[in-house]
Amino acid sequence: MDYPLIVDLFFVLLSVLAVVSGWRVFCTDSMVRASFFLLVSFIAVGLIMILLAAQYLGVAMFFMMAVEMMVMALFMVMFMMNPAGLNPMMMVHQHRFAIVAGAVSFVVLAAVALLAEFPDSPLPADLDPVTSLGNELLGDSMLIFESAGIVLLTTMIGVVVLSSHRGRFGAAEEGSMPPGLAPGGEPAGMPKESDEGGGHHHHHCH
Amino acid sequence: MIVNELILPVILVTVVLVVGAYLVAVIDEAIAGALGLPRAANAWMAPLARGAWLLTQQANATEAPDWRAWRLAPALYLALAAIGLAVVPFSPTLIPTDLVTGVVLWGSIEALATVVIFLHGWSANTLLSLIGAYRYVALGLSYILISMFVLIGVALPAESLQFSQVVASQAELWNVIRQPLGLPLFLIVGLGVTFWGPLNLADSRDLAGGTASAISGPPRLVWNLARSAMLVAFSGAAASAFLGGWLGPWLPGPVWMLLKMLAVLAVLLLIGRLVPRVQPERCVTLMWVVLLPLSFVDLIWAGVEALW
Repeated sequence: MDYPLIVDLFFVLLSVLAVVSGWRVFCTDSMVRASFFLLVSFIAVGLIMILLAAQYLGVAMFFMMAVEMMVMALFMVMFMMNPAGLNPMMMVHQHRFAIVAGAVSFVVLAAVALLAEFPDSPLPADLDPVTSLGNELLGDSMLIFESAGIVLLTTMIGVVVLSSHRGRFGAAEEGSMPPGLAPGGEPAGMPKESDEGGGHHHHHCH
Repeated sequence: MIVNELILPVILVTVVLVVGAYLVAVIDEAIAGALGLPRAANAWMAPLARGAWLLTQQANATEAPDWRAWRLAPALYLALAAIGLAVVPFSPTLIPTDLVTGVVLWGSIEALATVVIFLHGWSANTLLSLIGAYRYVALGLSYILISMFVLIGVALPAESLQFSQVVASQAELWNVIRQPLGLPLFLIVGLGVTFWGPLNLADSRDLAGGTASAISGPPRLVWNLARSAMLVAFSGAAASAFLGGWLGPWLPGPVWMLLKMLAVLAVLLLIGRLVPRVQPERCVTLMWVVLLPLSFVDLIWAGVEALW
């Protein structure tokens, strides 16, 4: 298939952007920055998909990933007790396992790229990718996609319910008290119950 | 080929955005004058004078901001406005980018705008701008959903996600009449995404300027320009999705398009001056309990109408 040189040029530039921003995700020390570096990486991949004539999937990648990364950054900040996400924190853990898993998946994917025989079937000139995708999604495969969607939604709700059961200072159904600033001290940051009396709390006996 | 596909669209989008953003400031001043509010002596010169003054001012610094994100965010917001306007057709032939998924790209612009506005408030590393940033994220998700359903509604009669097809499908009847709920909802989304007037909750006075509370000088100029430019891009999308774009008698297509954009801008700016700011908590309730169900109604209406 004939295409101008500029397509190759953009493919190389976008690939470099995707890889570099993906690598920066693991070098930064902030959850918010890590999420948005990942977003940049996904946007570059979405643009590559548009180059590959997957016009709907490429553009859908933008809004899906934008909302997803935004919500992910917000939830990480909420769950990780880092008020703004600007505080430096270590973003990587389980080093040995991560290095082995990364090396293995790189070798496997590189082997697939080098050794697999890719089909050589150029796109027909009259192909309308958006229409054919719509027919696929809402045609014969509708049951599969719809049930997969419901399962994913149920999983997401279930995960949030399970993971938010244990709150920052104890289980959710028991009510929670922050620990004291000194060992055994009074709960930190909680207003004293007897404060409503207008500063007479030392007169009340317990 | 390069002239037609690259240079001409870039010039067209840039000129419309810059002139449009200038006109936003002028119309806003004129409306303020008509309503008897405090205004500049000369509505035509005031935006230019203010822009020139901002250019000469020093750019503020806060303690340990995320410099790259802080400086990039206004420029990225401006870029999103330009990308949004680039899929808006001015005539059957004068279209900067006739993307087949233009309507979906508009949804992406609004989603990415949420990220950019959050980044702008977050990276300053100051309290009030951070509150503005979180506030916008909480509200932005509801704007995106409403806009998505309303835009699917206009794509249905066109049987296409292409803006030029959406305009062509309105040859008999404009969508503003065919789907009466669509345009009001889309205008509310427009005010929300540019946080303008009653929906200015990210940069509002109760937060001393919100995400923009810590910026001054050239970055503030770019931020203000970007917000006006986004309003212009929104008027372009609204004019082609609901008001029949280039369609109209006697005058050539692009002139009709520009007139409709100006009309939408005037309505938005008038709402911005007349309606008081909504309280953020009430705004979330309004979005999810009233406007989102209304956008479902709009979509069902569009679907039934398309099947008829």
